[in-house]
Parts: sequence; C-alpha cells; structure tokens
Amino acid sequence: MRPSARSGLLEFPAYALAAVLCSSLLSAVPVRAATIAVTVQAADGQPLPGAVVSVHTLASAARSGVPVQAVMDQVNRAFQPDLLVVPVGSTVEFPNSDSVSHQIYSFSPAKRFQLPLYRGKPYPPVRFDQVGVVTLGCNIHDSMLAYVVVTDAPYFGRTDATGSWSSEVPKGTYKVTVWHPRMQEIAEVERELSIGEGDRASLTLHLDKPLQPASIEGAHHSWDAY
Amino acid sequence: MLWLVLVGLSASTAQAADWELDLDARLVSSDGRQSFTDGGLGTLRYDQGQSGVRLGRARFALSQSLGEVWSLRLDASSWGDRDRNPIDLTEAYLLFRPYPRAGYRFRLKAGAFHSPISLENRAAGWESPYTLSYSAINTWLGEELRTLGVEGQLDWLGTRTGHRFDVGLTGGVFGWNDGAGTVIANRGFALDDRQTTLLGRVGATDSGPLAPIEVFREIDGRPGYYAGLEAKYFDRLVVRFMHYDNRGDPDALDNPSAEFAWETRFNAAGVRAESGSGWTAIVQWLEGETYIEPGGEDLEWPFDARFALLSKQMGNQRLSIRYDSFRVRSGSPDGSDAEEGHAWTAAYVYEPDAHWRFTLEWLRVDSDVTNRALELGEARFARETQLQLAVRYALGSLAR
Repeated sequence: MRPSARSGLLEFPAYALAAVLCSSLLSAVPVRAATIAVTVQAADGQPLPGAVVSVHTLASAARSGVPVQAVMDQVNRAFQPDLLVVPVGSTVEFPNSDSVSHQIYSFSPAKRFQLPLYRGKPYPPVRFDQVGVVTLGCNIHDSMLAYVVVTDAPYFGRTDATGSWSSEVPKGTYKVTVWHPRMQEIAEVERELSIGEGDRASLTLHLDKPLQPASIEGAHHSWDAY
Repeated sequence: MLWLVLVGLSASTAQAADWELDLDARLVSSDGRQSFTDGGLGTLRYDQGQSGVRLGRARFALSQSLGEVWSLRLDASSWGDRDRNPIDLTEAYLLFRPYPRAGYRFRLKAGAFHSPISLENRAAGWESPYTLSYSAINTWLGEELRTLGVEGQLDWLGTRTGHRFDVGLTGGVFGWNDGAGTVIANRGFALDDRQTTLLGRVGATDSGPLAPIEVFREIDGRPGYYAGLEAKYFDRLVVRFMHYDNRGDPDALDNPSAEFAWETRFNAAGVRAESGSGWTAIVQWLEGETYIEPGGEDLEWPFDARFALLSKQMGNQRLSIRYDSFRVRSGSPDGSDAEEGHAWTAAYVYEPDAHWRFTLEWLRVDSDVTNRALELGEARFARETQLQLAVRYALGSLAR
C-alpha cells in the first residue's frame, strides 16, 4: 500500500484499516452457507420417511458428488439395504452373505447387468455410470427387489422418521426433487428455489397419490415355486 | 444314483447345490373309516386303526445348478405307509431359467413336476403353509396329477416396470397321466397330504379290499396339454385359471394290466388375496369330467369341488379355517361311484424359527359314497374326524 504523492494524515490510516479488515475477513470469517430443509408428506398428509431427496444445481458453485464404494448385501433372501442412493460413477459391491446362491440382474435402462453370486466366491463390484433408477431383482428368488438410485445431484439423502431431510448448500439456484420407490405420481415432484448466503429455505413437498402397497412382511422366502 | 454323480460333479466344479432335509412326525387321533391308503373308502389319510404316532413325511430336496441358468431339482419323500418303494421322488426336473429381459421372464421345466394350479400349496415340497391336509381339490391334484413332460411359462413383470400388475401365461405338454381320473371315479375326493410318488401308487401295496391304483402311466401314446393364465396385483392379489386335458383315448387298453386310458378334462380357477395386516383368503374351484369306454360303453363321471380358506398370521403363529365341498356324479347305470360331501378344517401353526414347525389340525369330513354300500357293505354316509399334532424339523441351506 503506497502512500499517494499527496498523502495526508487521514488517507494513510484508511488504506491500512481497509487492508487489515480485508485480510482478517478472508482468513478468519467464512462465507455463510445456506440451508435447505425439506419435509416430504404422503397423500394422506403424514410424513413420509425413506423418501429420496435430491438437490440439483441450476446455478451455483456446487459440484456433483464424489463417487463412492457402496455395499448392498444379500441376507435371508432379501437385499440389505433395499435402496441405495449413490453419486454417478460409484460402485456397488454385492457380497452375498446368504446361505444360498443368488443371481442379481437389472433390465433398467440406466444399468443392464447380470451377476451370479455363488456362496464364498467374491465378485468385483458393479459400476453405475448413468443417472437413473436401477431396479434390481434375483433370477432365483422372484420376490427379491431393491433399487440403486444413481444421481448427479451434489446434495441428496433420505428423509428420516419425521419425513425431514436438510443440507447446507452454497448460495445459488437449485431444483429439489423427491422420489420414493412406491410413489405413483404422474408428474415429477420438484421445486425450484434460489437461496442466498446464510438463508434457510424450508420446503414441504406433498405427494398427490397414495403409495403402492408395500411388500407383505412375513412372506416366506421359500414359498411360491409353484 | 444320478444325483450322487451330479453332486460329485458339483463338488469338483464348485457349482452351487442347495438342499433341505425335513422330518415330520405326527400324533394322530382319528375315527375315520378304513383309509383309501389302506384299501378302504375313507376320506382321511389316517383311519380309526391308525391313531398314534406316525411318520408324516421324511423329505429330501436338492437344487443343483448346472451352469448359470440351468438347474436340476429333485424332491423325494418317504410317507410312512406301505407304498411300492419306501422312498421315492415326487418331482424330478430340469429348470431353464434365463435372466429376465426387457420386463419379461421365461421359465422352462422338463421332467416330472406339479403344474401351477394350487393357490394353497405354496410351501416347499408342495406343502400347504396353512394346514396339514390339503383341500379336496388340491389333494386330488397331488394324488392323480403330475406333469411328466415340458412346461413353459412367460411372465410380463409389470410391477418391475412401473405398472401395478404382473401377467403370466403357462403351457404344458405331458404324457404318463392316462390314469388320472381312476381315483376320482372309483373313490372320489379325499382330504389328505399324501402326494403320489412317480413310481408309487394310490393305496398301500398289500391293501384291500380295494387294490392300489396306478396313476402315472402312458397307455394311448397321446400327449395331453394344459394352458393357464395368472394375473397378480403386486403381492396382494393372485388370480389363476387353468384348462387341463390329458387327451386320453378312452378306447385304448393297456394289454398286460387290462387298464383303460381315462380321458380327463377340467377347468380350474382360483383367487388368493393377502393384506398387509396378515390376512389371507383363498378360494379355488374345479370342474371337469373323466370317462372311459370299456367295450364301447360310454361311462362318464362329472366332478366338481370348491373351497374357501381364511387365515390370519400373528407373528410366528398362524390360524386357518377352511370349508370344502365336493361331488362326483355317477357314470355307471347302477349309480355306483357317486360321491358327495363337505368338510371343515381348522389349523394352528407355530414356527418359532427357521427349523421347527408345530401344527395342530382338526378335520371333519361328512361324505356320502355309494361304493361304500355297493362294494364294502358299509353305510354310505360317514362323518370322519381327525386330529393331528405335527412336529417338523428342517435343516439345510434351503431351510434358511
């Protein structure tokens, strides 16, 4: 900070003060992150747990999620967990801890694959390179069902028991979408919003149509070969 | 012998083999007439003289994969009565199971197996999870029918592609079922859980006065067929329909045994509804006829049966109740071989874990069988009551 040719007593301290303030702001006080809080309600107005909420970037500094290495096991003739949400480019390992063999497959456009899983024989993980919902089944056990949701959204998660999910995001413009494996909505459930630094946006997304019936619990896995 | 070789091969090539071994022991109290299993015309598996501790079923099942999409399925049982073989197969078939594509799933079976008619016999080994004794309809299917041939099934997996329904088509071509209809005409319907084995007979070897009946035989060289349709609403509702015709040539006569081929045809339909709170309701209906033409004489036995079952699951306990009604109309000029009856069944099942199953079943059949008077000199009408306590232990990778 060079003093001007005609620096007076008043100007020099102002520049110095500005420099001190700027440097201290940059080093000690961060930009305040915004928060998006989403509540998802089913058609009957009750909170919907387990819904997948994705926050897509329309205009912001946020980037797509880093690919992860996820695991979906097979236990007691069922997938565990039966829903995974992963960033695009992630891999999913299917270890098969069950007492019997399984043959995982999908004919979903986002990932078509077939993977035989024999007990005690490890298989390489499957890579999910396209955005979309991948429906998984087992060729041996017809009732097995699971989903891998492959997303390019930088922020995503599943609603808790109160139907809520939230995340800190940089300021910007976003599109929030909701998906549930049993939802029967005709149109996408989504909301666009712009959010400024330090703001908190609370959204309630409501499903119009009731969910499809859930799989019956207590159905024996060894049934229905006839 | 064959399965020993295959298991040996599987061990060497590290292919998957899943198996199950079950032992089902019974404590029986019955006031029934002499059982059909013992040469009589009672409608129950166990008669008055057979109360006590019995072997219900000892079963071994194997599922051996042969490559990725082929597998061999074997199901063998011993039933604790004096059949031709102490242990014999109920099913033995090759299964072709390619991976589903574009929302469709195809299955092919070749060998000996049950066709997909029953909505009650859902459990492994074609058992009912609701009761011990099957309904009159499914008892008859388990006794006289088996597909010895080829069956194809094509399913549209709507529920996996965003729709609410799955739809399936089944078609089968078979032989060695020209004896189907013999039991219905000679004895009528019964309620039991005794499936006829591939080399076995209906009725014990030295039983009398009625001789044991051979059902799985090919007499006329003509294959039979069946065609069926199934629609499912998620896992909540199943509707099935099946048309069966064994295309038996009623003129054909098997020379050594002097047995006729029975032409047997029927239509069967059923609905099963299940709720998320543990209720199950099953209704099945069957109507058909069987006929032979001994010496040019045309003898026909129309038969029909139906049942309704209601069941409630409460944790690892289940309570079920079922009503059956059945009828065989006489094909003979003297009015013999007619039967009419109905039955009530109530059962309690307790399954504390994957291995043990305890069942208490009460069964009462009221039946009017003309042959009881004409052939055995007994009263036509019988009220038979049977109480069974079954303890079953299962082990193996298929038993979880």
